[in-house]
Amino acid sequence: MAGGPPKALPSTGPHSLRDMPHPLAGSSSEEAVGGDSTPSPDLLMARSFGDKDLILPNGGTPAGTSSPASSSSLLNRLQLDDDIDGETRDLFVVVDDPKKHVCTMETYITYRITTKSTRVEFDLPEYSVRRRYQDFDWLRSKLEESQPTHLIPPLPEKFVVKGVVDRFSEEFVETRRKALDKFLKRITDHPVLSFNEYFNIFLTAKDLNIYKKQGIALLTRMGESVKHVTGGYKLRTRPLEFAAIGDYLDTFALKLGTIDRIAQRIIKEEIEYLVELREYGPVYSTWSTLEGELAEPLEGVSACIGNCSTALEELTDDMTEDFLPVLREYILYSDSMKSVLKKRDQVQAEYEAKLEAVALRKEDRPKVPADVEKCQDRMECFNADLKADMERWQNNKRQDFRQLLMGMADKNIQYYEKCLMAWESIIPLLQEKQEAK
Amino acid sequence: MEQAPTDPERQLQPAPLEPLGRSDSGLGVAVDEEAEGAREEGSGGDTMTHNNFWLKKIEISVSEAEKRTGRNAMNMQETYTAYLIETRSVEHTDGQSVLTDSLWRRYSEFELLRNYLLVYYPHIVVPPLPEKRAEFVWHKLSADNMDPDFVERRRIGLENFLLRIASHPILCRDKIFYLFLTQEGNWKETVNETGFQLKADSRLKALNATFRVKNPDKRFTDLKHYSDELQSVISHLLRVRARVADRLYGVYKVHGNYGRVFSEWSAIEKEMGDGLQSAGHHMDVYASSIDDILEDEEHYADQLKEYLFYAEALRAVCRKHELMQYDLEIAAQDLASKKQQCEELATGTVRTFSLKGMTTKLFGQETPEQREARIKVLEEQINEGEQQLKSKNLEGREFVKNAWADIERFKEQKNRDLKEALISYAVMQISMCKKGIQVWTNAKECFSKM
Repeated sequence: MAGGPPKALPSTGPHSLRDMPHPLAGSSSEEAVGGDSTPSPDLLMARSFGDKDLILPNGGTPAGTSSPASSSSLLNRLQLDDDIDGETRDLFVVVDDPKKHVCTMETYITYRITTKSTRVEFDLPEYSVRRRYQDFDWLRSKLEESQPTHLIPPLPEKFVVKGVVDRFSEEFVETRRKALDKFLKRITDHPVLSFNEYFNIFLTAKDLNIYKKQGIALLTRMGESVKHVTGGYKLRTRPLEFAAIGDYLDTFALKLGTIDRIAQRIIKEEIEYLVELREYGPVYSTWSTLEGELAEPLEGVSACIGNCSTALEELTDDMTEDFLPVLREYILYSDSMKSVLKKRDQVQAEYEAKLEAVALRKEDRPKVPADVEKCQDRMECFNADLKADMERWQNNKRQDFRQLLMGMADKNIQYYEKCLMAWESIIPLLQEKQEAK
Repeated sequence: MEQAPTDPERQLQPAPLEPLGRSDSGLGVAVDEEAEGAREEGSGGDTMTHNNFWLKKIEISVSEAEKRTGRNAMNMQETYTAYLIETRSVEHTDGQSVLTDSLWRRYSEFELLRNYLLVYYPHIVVPPLPEKRAEFVWHKLSADNMDPDFVERRRIGLENFLLRIASHPILCRDKIFYLFLTQEGNWKETVNETGFQLKADSRLKALNATFRVKNPDKRFTDLKHYSDELQSVISHLLRVRARVADRLYGVYKVHGNYGRVFSEWSAIEKEMGDGLQSAGHHMDVYASSIDDILEDEEHYADQLKEYLFYAEALRAVCRKHELMQYDLEIAAQDLASKKQQCEELATGTVRTFSLKGMTTKLFGQETPEQREARIKVLEEQINEGEQQLKSKNLEGREFVKNAWADIERFKEQKNRDLKEALISYAVMQISMCKKGIQVWTNAKECFSKM
């Protein structure tokens, strides 16, 4: 999608959807024609659900295509059960190949973003661009602006918080690459966010800077309207379900914070243990130089301890690179989710305030004025999007943590297996009789 | 403790090692060691009249420890620990053991026994006692002598000490040792009556000899260096091992925190809750497993410590040799100078400075009768000196022979014991690894059910 003004995309936005065929109206032209191109997941999903399975937000009556809120939330709802259609995707994004760029003013790293897609929104089936962290940051801001009712995945931290980590070191770059890859994959998996125009530009534009300068011109109307909520409204009470989400996120972030601290402490203790081990092993070596018959056994023990030290170092490196960053990401994630909750509160507050104002006016009007209705729409839309995203988030979170914690267990098992092998292999050495003294 | 005299005439050189006729080089610390009586030309003096006692198999155990209070020499209240020593003789026929003696001893009495053995058997590498105070302690261990864990390890160490003596071909026959096991009251007085403290070499004398000896047996010099280095390396090892234990303890214990936080987290989760909760339980198991692991490791540390202290015993034997050698050298020197004096008097030439010579110069020549008298005295002294030198030489060579024999025995014991210790250490590590794999595999399964 280089050059030209962007086409209207089937993203959220009450009005643009009216122009699109209803997702449930199976458009056979989009179906799979060959091995590679598969129907978009939402269409496929639509076929497995009948009309009666649709659970629409706020208990409203299904209003066919005319209620944009229900359509977008429908998309979200249908996307929930990822397990059913596992591999039928039409968008693949990979982040790899970090490279260092040295310029006069600065030095920075870029990553290659490779996109493969059969979606109509993409002119070409494949794209390959280079992006730096700043670009990801830009993308995230734009997503937050243009999709305020959705949960936007977090980016890895911008600045290196702790100590003197070298931001050009292999480990740091690799950790960051994985996080950026995860970031894009989460967007890719999202039925609404993945169709966002900024996302498309990010993946395809040869020169992103042109778009960066275009400012707010690309905003959809929905984003604009939410952006203009001045926030002077105060919500009296959060509805139960959102209050529950808020409480959950609070406790969740707290527990993750604790786990992060524990994990860091464990790594610290393990490193100190490693330091002592590195002194311990060589003493056996020194001793062996004094001895005759015991020389080989002592040397064997020394080598064994050396192997265990190496295994321990691998464990601490792995935990630092793979475990801690994911935890931190989820803490950032839940923080940004809480802000979205607050924004939702504001939208509701505005609606309720306006509604009250109308009631107080004691006018004779039978029906509710247009702008109050618009507020209600906004609120209901927001609620629907948020609830759907929350469910999706819960599922993904479960998978992510299952994988993360199993990974942690695995690394520890591998560490012990390496040590076990080392010690078992010297038992015969220790037991053998020496012939000549 | 002197053996029958052998003869040749070396004066200043230490005796070369003569071929050994020992048949029992394979001595372990095993309990039921049969100490064969009177195999070596009956040790004279203080040793056994109770040979028969040792022909039966005996079992010695330090089975209990008890806190006691009493009054010490200065009539002050003190608390100490007493240890119960039980001796059993095992009947050959049916293998049943019968308790023959049981009495209580405290650590200071063990020390007394050892000091006695050091004096009476200077050519033997005398087994060491377990440490007096807890050293190489890491933070969880107490440095308090009354701490039950320390007392328990000391009990084992004291038992080991007695077993080592009982299985030593020479030491086991000592009467005082026998009385230590059998005569509770009055034993201290009996030991002191031997007057061994008076026979002990003074520290100062020993130090002096170490510096001044000219021709010690090279093997002893080497052995001394070895024991110095052994002491240094084992100390270093024990220090670092204690730090390693400390750190390992920290790693395991912090994991216990996962238990609590997983439990709290599981409370807010629906599907993930059970998996988290049960994984948390495994983390608790992991954290608490380190206590037993490190307790076992202390046993390994104790085995190393024994040989750390053995190094000191080795050095003691070397020092004794240096002392004897120095003594010999001084005696020889003395003899040589007397002979020279004698010669000068006889021939009239003065080559060496002597007071007599000086006064002669100043006050005039002495009479031939006076000179004769002096020569006579000197000749007597020379005779005596030659006899003494001969016997000192013999002593020295006997000492070297016997000491070296025991040292060879010790070396084999050391190699065997330390190999065993290393093997059991490796086995401990293997067990620890297997437990670790088990716990994390269990946890992984819980996570997979999340």
